[in-house]
Amino acid sequence: MTLWQRMTNFSFLPDYAPYFINGIICTLLLSVVSVFVAIIPALCLALMRLSKSKILRGISGAYIQVFRSTPLLVQLFIVYFGPFTAITLPSYKMFGFIDTAIFIPGVVALALNSSAYVAESIRAGILAVDKGQTEAARSLGLTQAQTMRYIVLPQAIKNIIPTLANELVTMIKETSVIGYLGVQDLMWGTKTTAGATFLPLSPYILAAAIYFCINFPAGKAVEALERRMRRGDK
Amino acid sequence: METNKLIQVKDVYKRFEDGNMTVALDHCSLEIRKGEVVVIVGPSGSGKSTMLRTLNMLEVPTSGEIIFEGVNIADKSVDINVHRQKMGMVFQHFNLFPHKTILENLTLAPIKVKGEDHRTVEERAMRLLGIVGLADRAHDYPSQLSGGQKQRVAIARALCMQPEVMLFDEPTSALDPEMVGEVLEVMRDLAKHGMTMVVVTHEMGFAREVGTRVIFMDQGKILVDEDPKTFFEKPENPRLQDFLAKVL
Repeated sequence: MTLWQRMTNFSFLPDYAPYFINGIICTLLLSVVSVFVAIIPALCLALMRLSKSKILRGISGAYIQVFRSTPLLVQLFIVYFGPFTAITLPSYKMFGFIDTAIFIPGVVALALNSSAYVAESIRAGILAVDKGQTEAARSLGLTQAQTMRYIVLPQAIKNIIPTLANELVTMIKETSVIGYLGVQDLMWGTKTTAGATFLPLSPYILAAAIYFCINFPAGKAVEALERRMRRGDK
Repeated sequence: METNKLIQVKDVYKRFEDGNMTVALDHCSLEIRKGEVVVIVGPSGSGKSTMLRTLNMLEVPTSGEIIFEGVNIADKSVDINVHRQKMGMVFQHFNLFPHKTILENLTLAPIKVKGEDHRTVEERAMRLLGIVGLADRAHDYPSQLSGGQKQRVAIARALCMQPEVMLFDEPTSALDPEMVGEVLEVMRDLAKHGMTMVVVTHEMGFAREVGTRVIFMDQGKILVDEDPKTFFEKPENPRLQDFLAKVL
């Protein structure tokens, strides 16, 4: 078979299409849930990073550095074979095929990782709010916490939302390591198909096309969102 | 009379820890009595804005005391938020909250900080907006207003906390020339009604006409503290003479 034939041999599709469809569902579910779960810890990390306390700044900074400087796959294994060997999770099949006993540790690992990145974008979003806003609020007698809650955060959200959407796009690609735990995401389905059909190339071509078809429009949507958000503030 | 003294600045020294160790305030002392309109003028970089911003601790002095209503608010153990409620501040760049309506800009602090009743605050806010001539814009957002209108809202916002003193930090410097008048008009009105005011400005006409005392600062020092007549007509300090020759 020529290279072109190997790339375009989709004869596996009639039998293996469900692997890909389930894979897409699993990948999207995993990414969306992980990014959402990451938001609250990320906000805490960002606020710690911006606090006056050296200790809080240090803890948050160390967390962010550790998670950004080690591979996601390593983090995944440490989380799964570390804390989660001590906890017995209920095994329930979401959509009939996603096992919560491995899905949950996966989400936790991805969210821990993602929160380090999201924390930095939240921090940047907060810092981008004009200092005059804080001064005006404090001059009216608002406490630091009230200023953050009523004045700074509502304005920072505009800066943060586009970067969150961006993180989601990144996450959709990053989740491809989750197959190592046996979570049946798109990459897992692809590998299984390739192994079972002895077609080592075309399933990956299909997977690449699917990832692209999700992320390219999503990336464009983020850009449009950024433009709209920017137009909003005058 | 001690009770008349609303704010006393005692030997305040401020150095910025910015590498250059710039001395912004060089042992300044100052008293502001109830009902006074104290105007602070001086060349840029003279420390006049820093002086004003130390009065409500937006700048923390390196040493010295700020006594407000008998309490040294420069003391770290003092809850500054309690005292800031009584000191309104108006900024050069307005600093209205862009995500809140005009009315919400006024009502936010009285409701959240003082815990006042919604209705009472809204009535007061509408009355104040009426005074600054913007009652019909209550439900608009700051971005829909002109610079002069924004600054009038900012004044109303500060007044809505019912402060004892109003601090103005170059309130007309960021405005187009044709909008300066409407803001000064509101300030003039406020002075007429007996509000204690501290104003940092380049508007010499306002200083002469509305000020009860004029202070000249240069290089972080208070060099002249006089009534406006003496200040403008018989200036003795050579640096002040020089400054007046340039700006008048």
